[in-house]
Amino acid sequence: MENIIELQGVNKSFNGFKLQDFTISVKRGFVTGFIGGNGVGKSTTIKLIMNLLQPDSGTVSIFGLDYKNHEKEIKQRIGFVFDENILYENVTLNEMKRIIKPAYKNWDDALFNQYVEKFELPLNKNIKNFSKGMMMKASLTIALSHHAELIIMDEPTSGLDPIFRRELLELLHELMQNGEKTIFFSTHITTDLDRIADYITFIHNGEHIFTKEYYKIEEEYAIVKGETNLLDRDTEREFIAIRKSNYGFEALTGNKQRTEEVFGDAAILEKPTLEDIMLYTKRGKDKYVESHS
Amino acid sequence: MLNLIRKDIALQKKTLIILLLPLFAYLFFGSSTIWIGVLFCIAIIMQGFSMDEKSSSNLLFNSLPYTRKEIVSSKYVGACVFTFLVLATIFMGNLIIHKEMIQLEQLLFTMSIVMLFISFAFPFSYLLNSQYLMIAFAVLFVLYFIIVNMFIPNLNDRIRELVQTALSFDNSLLYLIVVVSVLLIYIVSWMLSIRIYSKKVF
Repeated sequence: MENIIELQGVNKSFNGFKLQDFTISVKRGFVTGFIGGNGVGKSTTIKLIMNLLQPDSGTVSIFGLDYKNHEKEIKQRIGFVFDENILYENVTLNEMKRIIKPAYKNWDDALFNQYVEKFELPLNKNIKNFSKGMMMKASLTIALSHHAELIIMDEPTSGLDPIFRRELLELLHELMQNGEKTIFFSTHITTDLDRIADYITFIHNGEHIFTKEYYKIEEEYAIVKGETNLLDRDTEREFIAIRKSNYGFEALTGNKQRTEEVFGDAAILEKPTLEDIMLYTKRGKDKYVESHS
Repeated sequence: MLNLIRKDIALQKKTLIILLLPLFAYLFFGSSTIWIGVLFCIAIIMQGFSMDEKSSSNLLFNSLPYTRKEIVSSKYVGACVFTFLVLATIFMGNLIIHKEMIQLEQLLFTMSIVMLFISFAFPFSYLLNSQYLMIAFAVLFVLYFIIVNMFIPNLNDRIRELVQTALSFDNSLLYLIVVVSVLLIYIVSWMLSIRIYSKKVF
């Protein structure tokens, strides 16, 4: 399988934040959900992918090309949506289209109009009067109107109502049907990913934790519940993080099979949500930091 | 890059049309054409510049298939286009209202001042923000008044004299030297701005 985005050993530090020896890859033809808490480096990573930031060291390659020699070529093939509105506010969508259209060789007016109709967007109303959902739809319309192969979105669903979020995910699903496109999007609303993501890339504090096929996460990870007396120094090592209470413990394991063998019927294993994984990984890392400092 | 210049003109179309009225009013009342030219050029160019200063427009244009070099260059070439447009309008206006041609020297002089201003203002604004430029100008303006009031009461007359002498020079070689050095400064500023902008973080 071919990688459409590759970051290799990327280091980037600024304002007290660091990406260290950061390596990720995104597979062509799939939807990859990019998850992590606030301020862990999701936006920074996306900016590195878009060449809005340059790495201090390491390489970024998109479509197998580097930005140094192929910047315009790469950007021709990317459609982007950011979480903030980046369109001019004092112009209409029609005027905005006229500004952006000449930048792309493959701009398709018919496709643009099709999305405008589908989203019921007003062409002659100033963009500053758009609601948050409409702005999102407008950005998306522009991102999709030049037959981009790679669609990159930074928190596209944040601040949107559930109905539109669902519609957006359906649209992305439709886009994926012809198999030519790749979608990479960050989110912290992990339930969005249930419907659409093929791969999950998880980062925490500037560190790549994993990239896995979605269904494999369920096979590997599990939430374990049981009596506190099951825990001792050895069994605790099985877990990424543990939460203890008066009634027992709840913990996350990254090796479901082994945990099953160790505890047998004594503990209950449940399917974890992505949120569980994010939460426990964060706790595990924080604890690790504590015990080593 | 042409697309970016066209975009700046399209976005300022309304402002340009609105500005035509005061421009002709000034011309009609016979203010100094150099002064009007410099004022309108700088106002229009800096307004266009500040429109794209927000981090959101930087995000947009840097994500579109443009390089940072092109984004900066479009502003420098665009500034020349706007200067040309304003001067051409003033030239035509003068021809219609006063039935007289503006001297080539006057046009060159206006252009040189605008370009010198831009050579300073653009790198400064890329480094900080054009808002600071306004603050810097406010400070300079106050300084100017203090100087006029306290030290050189006839500063305005002296400047006027200086401009008149400069314009009355008949030496085309001198003009050439001035124009070439202004151009050089403009190009150096252009390169400097590209350097500054390519290191910018949004």
